[in-house]
Amino acid sequence: MTESLTGSQILCRALLEEGVDVLFGYPGGAIMPFYHALPEFPGLRHVLVRHEQAAAHAADGYARATGRAGVCVATSGPGATNLVTGLATANMDNTPVVAITGQVARAMMGRDAFQETDIIGITQPITKHSRLIEDVEEIEEAVREAFHVAQEGRPGPVLLDIPKDVQNQKAEWRGGRSGGQADRRTGGSSQGVKIPPYRRTAALEEAARLIATAERPLIMAGHGVVLSGAYAELWVLAERTGIPVITTLLGISGFPESHPLHLGMPGMHGEVHVNRAIQQSDLIIGLGLRFDDRVTGNLAGFARGAKLIHVELDTSEIGKNVPAAVALVGDVREVLCALLPTVAPRTCDAWQREIASFVRPREESFRDGLSPQAILDAISDASDGGCTIVSDVGQHQMWVAKLFRYQRPNSHITSGGLGTMGFAVPAAMGVALARPGEPVWAISGDGGFQMNMQEIATMVQEGIPVKMAIFNNGYLGMVRQWQQFFHGKRYSATPIWSPNYVKLAEAYGIAGHRVETIDQLEGVVADAAAEPGPVLVEFMIEQEANVFPMIPPGGSLSEPIEGEAATPLVSA
Amino acid sequence: MSGGQAVSVLLEDRLITLNRAVGLIRRRNLPVRSLAIGPTATPGLSRLTIMMQSDIATAERAVQHLQKMIGVRAAIAFPTLDGVTRELALVKVRAPHHRYAELLDVIQLYNASVLDDSTDGLIVEVSGSEAFVLSCLRALERFEVVEVARSGTIALGTANNLQSEMGT
Repeated sequence: MTESLTGSQILCRALLEEGVDVLFGYPGGAIMPFYHALPEFPGLRHVLVRHEQAAAHAADGYARATGRAGVCVATSGPGATNLVTGLATANMDNTPVVAITGQVARAMMGRDAFQETDIIGITQPITKHSRLIEDVEEIEEAVREAFHVAQEGRPGPVLLDIPKDVQNQKAEWRGGRSGGQADRRTGGSSQGVKIPPYRRTAALEEAARLIATAERPLIMAGHGVVLSGAYAELWVLAERTGIPVITTLLGISGFPESHPLHLGMPGMHGEVHVNRAIQQSDLIIGLGLRFDDRVTGNLAGFARGAKLIHVELDTSEIGKNVPAAVALVGDVREVLCALLPTVAPRTCDAWQREIASFVRPREESFRDGLSPQAILDAISDASDGGCTIVSDVGQHQMWVAKLFRYQRPNSHITSGGLGTMGFAVPAAMGVALARPGEPVWAISGDGGFQMNMQEIATMVQEGIPVKMAIFNNGYLGMVRQWQQFFHGKRYSATPIWSPNYVKLAEAYGIAGHRVETIDQLEGVVADAAAEPGPVLVEFMIEQEANVFPMIPPGGSLSEPIEGEAATPLVSA
Repeated sequence: MSGGQAVSVLLEDRLITLNRAVGLIRRRNLPVRSLAIGPTATPGLSRLTIMMQSDIATAERAVQHLQKMIGVRAAIAFPTLDGVTRELALVKVRAPHHRYAELLDVIQLYNASVLDDSTDGLIVEVSGSEAFVLSCLRALERFEVVEVARSGTIALGTANNLQSEMGT
């Protein structure tokens, strides 16, 4: 039994069949047929954002929280181009996002029609795949392919561009998940994304041998641990061997921070003992990470004495930056499941003591004691550690990465690879909708917050209970810090004025608080935590605080700047 | 020509797929010498040949990136020494009357052929390895070269068969 539907209705049905329950979007001319059909499908909740960039970030946040593709919708032209930063963010951090854009009618394409842009061309380098749907008959299959490609293997964003007249075209609904299921089994038409199941290889034996014989081994856990959900396997590997665990920015919350084997974050703002451990190690077990330059510093000076066991899904990452002694290609969890039976119990007591001796206490003072640590402890305490933290980009991001004590898997969400300011507030909306009932804090600086603060209106209209924290220091703090260290303290364009955030909150009809001293901290954060709807808390932090330690850009992990006194790199 | 690598790619013969493949090469900043595309024995499939001046590891990384791309059916890299390469050039060349015989000697020397002889000059076709074609071009520059069109190099590996690797 078939029935005739419009392209828009077919699109909605196909989305429902993919398990979509929420869309973030903004209507406009070329996507109107889709919005006309949408009310017929109450299973698809539409969240009207205030800017399409926020739709892409919210879909990204939803995807990071669930592991399922988040969906954003925009019209042609400016609507589509506004998605670009969000898609690039998802692409760099391998998040499954499906973006649907309206396009001008086929007969108008290529004629510089009103609100026409070549969004396929624009997004080609920042999507895993993109496709112009040229006929209504393609829609069902294209949607299935899009979700398959976005979620399969190394995830990423996929864009579907649908001309307005195709949305109105009629076709038979073939329906049934059977087609989609078959696609999933066979890998569909998408040649490059099939992942063979992990097979035991000689490389596994070699990896086990290296793990058994190394004197100073380390585990570096990246985003792949979170994406594959390899939490238990990582925990077993660490416990069985006593090998200390380093978590990269996107690997954070892949391993409990209270665990005695957890060392911290490596790289540009990694603690001295973490980076020193890397430099001294003789074996690095890299789990689902790509050895980004913010992790390695100067590659020539990175972990020169260490062999690398690189566990990575994407073969093009193996040896890209750091040569691998053993490459285990596959999903991190699958590889660890195959590897663990070959790993014999061992200990690393002497090495652990050696790393502990690298730890150096650092004296830092903050105005009125309102330190990032105190603020983050208060936020953690207010939910007994049971909240998800979505951070923005900058100094606060590094504090949130290093100082918050993550206990639950995937409870830290941030824009890592692209470093997108303005990410936290809209992404947190997606996280909050994906995790109803759980506290979600969007932590931003005063710079990043002002990039997407229009989304408070979305939260109010849609009842999305995000708790927004602003670390206000009156500066674009991380850029100011670089100016202090490397540009002779010339604070060019980094002082930034803010509105009265408490009144701003009031204008949106939500609760707003300002914390200026340490004695206000606990009470205000507790109030904010108890607030059922969206709430905003501004923390007036030390204006010129720095994130220490810091590896100068291009420097080696062995050359950290550890404090104000040690700034010999200042140049005029 | 030393250190030259050929990357051979079988892809769907759609402009968007070619666009993607070439876009990837640009984005990854790969050292490309030439690109050539044309149909294959399989309907709906094109072969894109990318000549790279690089080590084999760089060419193999390009292959890994290309293989991830939707629309790419198979890709392979091999040193040009492990295959056969050919390029074709069309050269419009003029010579004064008293040097015409000399020009014809050069054309004969390179096994080239004259495709057109008009008042504007001769159109000469020459094919061979990139080095051979370049050598011929240099020889023709002793006369007045008006215009040159080169096909870019195509290559087939002697010890591999890309089309048989599809779908494996």
